[in-house]
Amino acid sequence: MEWLANFWATYSTLIYSIGVYALVALSIWLTLACGLLSLANAAFMGIGAYVSALLSLQAGWPFWAVLVAAGLAPAGVALIIGIPTLRLSGVYLAMATLAFGEVVRIIILNLEITGGPEGLNGIPQSTRGWHIVAILGLAVYGLARMRRSRTGRAFEAIREDEVAASLMGIDVKRHKLFAFVLGAVLAGVAGGLNAHATFFISPREYGFENAVDILTMVVFGGIGGLVGPMVGAGILTLLPELLRFLHEFRGIFNGLVLILVVLFLPKGIWEPRRIRALFGLGPKEG
Amino acid sequence: MSSLTKTLILAATLVTVSVQAADIKVGVAEALSGGAAQYGVPIRNGFQLAADEINAKGGINGNKIQLVIEDEQGKKEEAINVFKKLIFQDKVLMIFGPTLSNSMFAAGPVANASKTVAFGTSNTANGITDIGPYIFRNSVMESDVLPITVATAVKHYHIKKVAVMYGNDDAFTKSGYDVFKKVLADQNIPVTTTETYVKGDVDFKAQLTKIKAGNPDAIICSALAEEAANIMLQARSLGIKAPFIGGNGFNSPKLFEISKQAGDGTFVGSPWSNDNPSSANVNFVNAYKKKYNAEPNQFAAQGYDALYIAAAALKTVKLSGNLEADRQALRDALPKVTINGATGAFKFRPAVTKDGKPGGFDADQKPFIYILQNSKFNLFTGKN
Repeated sequence: MEWLANFWATYSTLIYSIGVYALVALSIWLTLACGLLSLANAAFMGIGAYVSALLSLQAGWPFWAVLVAAGLAPAGVALIIGIPTLRLSGVYLAMATLAFGEVVRIIILNLEITGGPEGLNGIPQSTRGWHIVAILGLAVYGLARMRRSRTGRAFEAIREDEVAASLMGIDVKRHKLFAFVLGAVLAGVAGGLNAHATFFISPREYGFENAVDILTMVVFGGIGGLVGPMVGAGILTLLPELLRFLHEFRGIFNGLVLILVVLFLPKGIWEPRRIRALFGLGPKEG
Repeated sequence: MSSLTKTLILAATLVTVSVQAADIKVGVAEALSGGAAQYGVPIRNGFQLAADEINAKGGINGNKIQLVIEDEQGKKEEAINVFKKLIFQDKVLMIFGPTLSNSMFAAGPVANASKTVAFGTSNTANGITDIGPYIFRNSVMESDVLPITVATAVKHYHIKKVAVMYGNDDAFTKSGYDVFKKVLADQNIPVTTTETYVKGDVDFKAQLTKIKAGNPDAIICSALAEEAANIMLQARSLGIKAPFIGGNGFNSPKLFEISKQAGDGTFVGSPWSNDNPSSANVNFVNAYKKKYNAEPNQFAAQGYDALYIAAAALKTVKLSGNLEADRQALRDALPKVTINGATGAFKFRPAVTKDGKPGGFDADQKPFIYILQNSKFNLFTGKN
């Protein structure tokens, strides 16, 4: 049993990261499910992280209240910027949300209270494994229920054809805004969990690079369902650690794996139909 | 997942086997890939060189030093992962690194909580040693170097007023500016104007024009070498003659490679000098050149010295084989160490923490002051 204790002591942070990034991946999956290519989720994660860290450090709020605030603060921001920007679609929305992400990063960089480029350190380590499991479980359950509900089907209709969806009586704008705001809540909570697991946050963790990383996780895993994004987040978080034995070459190998998956599994690693077909079950692809 | 578990079990058994050998396992967590690798790689080289030398002379009380080197990529999550791997799986006696201050803020608490020494050789940010009593560093803080740099330059050039310029989106240049600001206030030197730029800027003429209008006697600049060199070139082309005063970011040959003669007269302080004639430094410089076929820098020198500091402490410790007791014994022995290394005479100084709790240990060392002359750093002796 000693090795198990050792294993946990060594890899708990890594496992926490997988959970946190699974949550962020779900948040971006939610907007993608509604046909929105939004790159704002890294910024929402940052807002959640900073709001929660500041409430812990300066105001001494209890952890549960801090997490609620971490979800609500980016939701408020998402509501405000969502109304004008969600009129855009496709690449234009991606650009607008990208710009929003940069604005958030630069604001954090220049504020006194956020510690500027030096970031915030000494954040209490309040995140426990069961917090992440519980929140992730709740999110998966909620999203799975939602997919089967009127709202979920409306999302799907909007993604497939916006005009047709609106002709069927779906309030396209409202549904898009809902997906955007709910995504912000998930990303914000993930940010709060992350900040309270790693002692330290700085603005560069929530910039463009992170936004692309998160999107990569979802595309890598597959956007067809809820499992894909989580699988993608898990693999892409684990990969650098598993490849540690390759030393200097692991960055190259990491990239190679990504390219191969995109080339040969364009719908992501987790594609139930392909997996069933592989074992000779279910309908064959024609 | 099952193959992962198998690998881990295998790794765990390997670790238990190797612990019984008479090697002293020391972790080295540095950024060996990514942007911070330019600092991490020389640091690792410094460690390897020192370990080879110590082992060639028979090790410490007969025990060889075994370095367990891991790449932390300059990222905070990676730094935490590497620290945990080294502490819990490789069961090292202590850890050197990580490379960046930000990574130390994230990973330092992990080491401190598991009562294992984390020894930074390149973390200059304020508050690093506030993390706790197991945090050490031999990197000299900017707040120890800059007052001397500024005072020396002020005396040499008879400076009455200065202009300030710094990068405000980078942790390193911003914290350098904060120290400069305090130093200027302490030494009662008025500031004509304070200008900022952001990473990636290539045109500094707007800021420099404002600086020129104030007609300062010197320009204080908290910037990294490439940007600083560009600022110098553009300042000269605008007809600004005032000399520059810089922080640790100036300590790179890139500064005069790009700025050519434009940087002449610049004052800069550094914890290490290539030309320091002490025998420890001459040995280090020659051995480094021989082993790596490259010029050593300050980061390599600090890594090299750090291992000698740890070795000096280990010499006084009787290793019992009980990991926890040995880690604690090493922690208790370290603060008493004094050595004469490549960076000069070194001793530790207990950190003064913000909230009065016991902190770690900072470097207590005198910096070298350089002046840039004919595109070369020369040790400033008062006669140049």
